[in-house]
Amino acid sequence: MSIRLVTFALLVGGIGSAALPAAAVEPAPPGAKVYIIWPKSGQIITGGKFWLRMGLRNMGVAPAGIRKPGTGHHHLLIDADLPPAGEPIPNNRNHLHFGSGQTEARIELPPGRHTLQLVLGDADHVPFEPSLVSDRITVIVP
Amino acid sequence: MLRFLSAASLAMALAALPAAGRAGSTPASKDAYLYIGWPIDGEVVKSPFKVWFGLRNMGVAPAGVDKPNTGHHHLLIDTDLPPLDEEIPNNRNHLHFGNGQTETVLELPPGRHTLQLLLGDKDHVPFDPPVVSRRITITVR
Repeated sequence: MSIRLVTFALLVGGIGSAALPAAAVEPAPPGAKVYIIWPKSGQIITGGKFWLRMGLRNMGVAPAGIRKPGTGHHHLLIDADLPPAGEPIPNNRNHLHFGSGQTEARIELPPGRHTLQLVLGDADHVPFEPSLVSDRITVIVP
Repeated sequence: MLRFLSAASLAMALAALPAAGRAGSTPASKDAYLYIGWPIDGEVVKSPFKVWFGLRNMGVAPAGVDKPNTGHHHLLIDTDLPPLDEEIPNNRNHLHFGNGQTETVLELPPGRHTLQLLLGDKDHVPFDPPVVSRRITITVR
């Protein structure tokens, strides 16, 4: 497994460096998948407060700043489109960082329809290549 | 943090853990909550099956990473809690998730099995107080 990962890393690293001379974008391990365990799309959240549960398959979670192949940390996009590839994910009320390695977070949303989407970031908060993003779901706060 | 560890709360924490010895030395968040998100207690599953690990008010970090309020998951299968003041054993009954994994796929023989999560610090030693999930029982068909 580790040899396969290394080979893949070298391959992607090689392609990446040809296409993007400056950025050392972290390769995503094969089979990795980010998803929102809860809430489900279409979920009605009375009161607007809930625990978001973040799911990650075939990869591990590491706090920001930790450089370990096959790990990253979660970012939640609230009512926001995907940020540009190759640069750090913004850090504001629409882009929440979980740089302490959190896999659950207490979220509070005002009434209305909201979209939620997870993006995995590397040690420097930069999305992986190919990017690891969850489905974008919609929740409704009455 | 020391203020929270009054004699009373420590005694309560120890009383709540039947197999408890002393705890490790790395402090855990007082409101840390560790649980098995899936399967749920009493569930009948077909092997192989997915197990996901729930952790609130603490973060996940790979083994060896020294960062306050983070740890990594260990899954105990068909076994009691190990001594809580030493490194968690590493064998088929004590699975380590030292890469910071937050879920796994298990393959178990048919029958009843118990599952329990125990959070370990960078050195695989339980926290003080120990961060441990409820022990659940599942049936593999």
